[in-house]
Amino acid sequence: MPPPGHAVKRGALRRNLTGHAFFFPFLVVFVIGVAAPLAYAFRLSLYEDRMIGGTVFVGFDNYSKALSDQLFSAGLVRVALFFAIQVPLMLTLSLLAALAIDSGRLRGAGLFRVGIFVPYAVPGVVAALMWGYMYGKRFGLSAELSDLLGTELPDLLGPDWMLASIGNVVTWSYVGYNMMILYAALRAIPEELYEAAEMDGAGAFRTAWSIKLPALKPALLLATTFSVIGSFQLFNEPSILSALAPASVPTNYTPNLYAYNLAFNGRQFNYSAAIAVVLGVVTVFVAYLVQLATARRERMQ
Amino acid sequence: MNAKSSIAGRLGSRRSTSMTAAVTVAALALSLAACGSDSKSDDDKGGKQADPSAVAGALDQPAEITFWSWVPNIDRTVALFEKKYPKVHVKLVNVGQSKDEYTKLQAALKAGSGAPDVAQIEYYALPQFAITKQLVNLADFGAASLRDKFASSAWSQVNVAGGIYGVPQDTGPMAMFYRKDVLDKLGATPPKTWAEVAELGKKIKAADPANFVTYLDPGDAGQANSLIWQQGGKPYQVSGESSAAVKLKDDPGAAKWAATWGPMLADKTVESTPSWNEEWWKSMGAGKYALWLAGAWAPAVMQKNLPQGAGQWAVAPMPTGDGAPGSAENGGSSVAVTKQAKNKAASVAFATWLNSDPEAVKSLNSDVGLFPATRLLLDDPTFRGADLPYFPGTKPNEVFAQMSGAVRPEWQYLPFQVYANSIFKDTIGQVYKPGGDLPGALSTWQERITTFGKEQGFTMK
Repeated sequence: MPPPGHAVKRGALRRNLTGHAFFFPFLVVFVIGVAAPLAYAFRLSLYEDRMIGGTVFVGFDNYSKALSDQLFSAGLVRVALFFAIQVPLMLTLSLLAALAIDSGRLRGAGLFRVGIFVPYAVPGVVAALMWGYMYGKRFGLSAELSDLLGTELPDLLGPDWMLASIGNVVTWSYVGYNMMILYAALRAIPEELYEAAEMDGAGAFRTAWSIKLPALKPALLLATTFSVIGSFQLFNEPSILSALAPASVPTNYTPNLYAYNLAFNGRQFNYSAAIAVVLGVVTVFVAYLVQLATARRERMQ
Repeated sequence: MNAKSSIAGRLGSRRSTSMTAAVTVAALALSLAACGSDSKSDDDKGGKQADPSAVAGALDQPAEITFWSWVPNIDRTVALFEKKYPKVHVKLVNVGQSKDEYTKLQAALKAGSGAPDVAQIEYYALPQFAITKQLVNLADFGAASLRDKFASSAWSQVNVAGGIYGVPQDTGPMAMFYRKDVLDKLGATPPKTWAEVAELGKKIKAADPANFVTYLDPGDAGQANSLIWQQGGKPYQVSGESSAAVKLKDDPGAAKWAATWGPMLADKTVESTPSWNEEWWKSMGAGKYALWLAGAWAPAVMQKNLPQGAGQWAVAPMPTGDGAPGSAENGGSSVAVTKQAKNKAASVAFATWLNSDPEAVKSLNSDVGLFPATRLLLDDPTFRGADLPYFPGTKPNEVFAQMSGAVRPEWQYLPFQVYANSIFKDTIGQVYKPGGDLPGALSTWQERITTFGKEQGFTMK
């Protein structure tokens, strides 16, 4: 860039000021709502508050404790497993739904779209409660199905099935949301590409494979990133279902639940803050890995 | 969770807990910002203001008292108080039941402001607030003279580390509720010993494998604690202000508890199920469980949730190992005055009146449905002989009063019982199943509680 003249500089300054004025409200909200709590949580995590002995500065002790805490790592492994299985399943369903609507061959596409999206409008807590009652092995839907089929269905709220049951609630809630992200991306594909494909004699499936899917990559990446966050921060569903099946959801079931229980049952706010910070870092790291993997694959192509 | 806490909670707004959890985390984090090491100065102030003679006249002066309680209908008793002492205004606030209240109370007390003057605190949670010096020692206000007014099982529970930190409000001496119709059909009589309970279980199982003699809740530490207590256990010991011991592994009472329930779980004559939810009430109504071992607060809850059960249920003393009377407390709570109370004398006077004045005590029993902690009612022939329409032709209060007298002495809760109870489902709750290793889980539970105690700075013996 050439060195700017005096006048240009002043103009730039004014432009900058205007820019800053527009930016300021966001900055205030960001600092109060995001930066300050994060900084505060970090500060909290450097102390230890004991019932006997009061508050003392302990440096990174809480972090070294967190890293060797098997209860914490068990929760992390559980949500990682959840992410590895539930997210691909959910995104595949979302993708199929989006492609179906976009194909234009669906009758009542509007209704279909709304129908799949509606669960997203149901608050997560309500969804978990609703499903929880359906899972009930004595009076719920699962019980009635058992009676109807004359066999004993597995206990969906038992320890073996709990993660799958939670996965089902989350999938039910978010398929529609992810479908909308993907569908919006599909609508953004220029018409010319379809025309060109048609000229080349591509059928519907070939079009979907060679045009739609590649065009969906950024949207899929976005949806996956959201899902990383959603999986690692899993809280509502296990928390609600634990009331119906306490033994199936131990206090360290997910890292967030663990942090919550440490803080509110154990009053270990400081250690809980350290857990929260570590969890945040892990989430960012996994989200970054997802992006990196996608970027690398693109470069290879 | 403590059984008593379940009552008010599950009738009320238990579900909102998790919804507001995230918000509360944030709010709490901020309110903690104000916390520092200023709790010391509060202690000193509290000590100096203490004056027994101030209490007597405190209610004739204008005063405002904030009272946190989640007990349904307690406003009726509070109204009687305001009628009697028109100069004192009581602001009754329900900030959530049991654990929800404690979380908020803890935060406000730590933050240095925002706590109520007077608060409802269950016995099991009282040591936690007492040890951390967040409550007024009522002995400084002459509360020791109240001793004879209360059942000893109640009084001993408000005595923590040499002080008196609450006025007993209600108790839950355990009794056995049983389905008359179910037992009659099997030609069985109410069991008096644990061996007879196991026997009854086998009979029930033989008649219909879908039914059980009773249930164990893998999420209810209060139930297990009371049953261990009832077998003579003393697994939690507190000495002084900073020293505690957890002896679940070697406690004879806990061992008896494991030996009683393990075989019944193995036989599938006892079901492991969460309680107090819709399914459970339906099962209770359907006669799926022949027995319900619960505190004397149960009739009030049954009338509300199982109105059709009137006449089906009856009350008998708790089964024991040898058939001799023996009981334990299951739930129950006290009313405490916090260190932040602005008018401590009036607050103490209110807490005392609410739980010991004859008029108030009757109202707590008949308007609110609490089972009394006071001798005034427990020893009253009219109270003991009263007919409860739900249990026609029986004198349930007589049984409860008898059980109250048979509560095994010297039980203590830990100063961090709330946490200990919260990890119950991680340990004991995991082995509430056929073939589950109860003694092993007692060790695991003990280890985790002990670790926590050490982390909190206690000397764990």
